[in-house]
Amino acid sequence: MEESARPIYTEAEKQEIFDKEFLPHIHAMYNFGYRLTLERDDAKDLVQDTYFKAFRFIESFQKGTNAKAWLFRILKNSFINDYRKKAKEPGKVDYQEVESYYNSDDVHRQITPDLRVEALKDMIGDEISNALNSLDVDFRTVIILCDLEGFKYEEMAKILDIPIGTVRSRLHRARHLLKEKLSEYARSMGYKTA
Amino acid sequence: MSDSTNPFTSPSGKRATCMEMLQLYLDGEVTQEQRAYFLHHMDMCMPCFKGYQVDMAIKELLKTRCCGEGAPGDLVQQIKAQIAQQNS
Ligand SMILES: [Zn+2]
Repeated sequence: MEESARPIYTEAEKQEIFDKEFLPHIHAMYNFGYRLTLERDDAKDLVQDTYFKAFRFIESFQKGTNAKAWLFRILKNSFINDYRKKAKEPGKVDYQEVESYYNSDDVHRQITPDLRVEALKDMIGDEISNALNSLDVDFRTVIILCDLEGFKYEEMAKILDIPIGTVRSRLHRARHLLKEKLSEYARSMGYKTA
Repeated sequence: MSDSTNPFTSPSGKRATCMEMLQLYLDGEVTQEQRAYFLHHMDMCMPCFKGYQVDMAIKELLKTRCCGEGAPGDLVQQIKAQIAQQNS
């Protein structure tokens, strides 16, 4: 993002882009911020900061492109650069390990957690939300972007600055972990697993 | 069906696993040809059929139960005030 870029929008145009293209995503943005930080106050700060940056760098937004993906990318970067540093989250996941796990033959032999649709239908409380929140933030993020927000792999790759192959493998691993968590709940609800 | 007819096979000839095909289909990241192939495959492959039911149910559950965190009512106001202050 270059601040010195030649202004291409008038003040009125900036306001219009901001109001009509950016603000309609406020709830999705807040939900994303909340799912990342797991704190409502932090989510609010993160969203406010993101919109502030979005307005400041509005010249680098191209009208007609995906505003939601652009905003999500700014929020994700703010989270990593500002929030995460402050929070000093313990050890990141070793993706090398994840990649080799995915590419190895183990993945074919891997036991898929036994989970039945009936058990899932009984999860009418906070089970799914708690299961999602329990995942490491990088795994949580791909599920939020794909399953909650419906972003395509290509958009996710841009938001997260990772190759599409990594999007796929990370998503695969994230879903596996989520299923493990959900089958724990299913067992505790009395569903027998094989 | 031989691998040469599987539209999921990568240009380098690497065969896609059931799980890889299932994920791409689930996320709508397939071509029409891949879609038709996978639907036919699922009719004969029990793990894919079962896996799809479960994965789809989880996707639905996530969408309906994890998107409810709406922004506080005063947030838009605060954002606008902050920007107006900076601009003045
Ligand atoms: Zn299969």
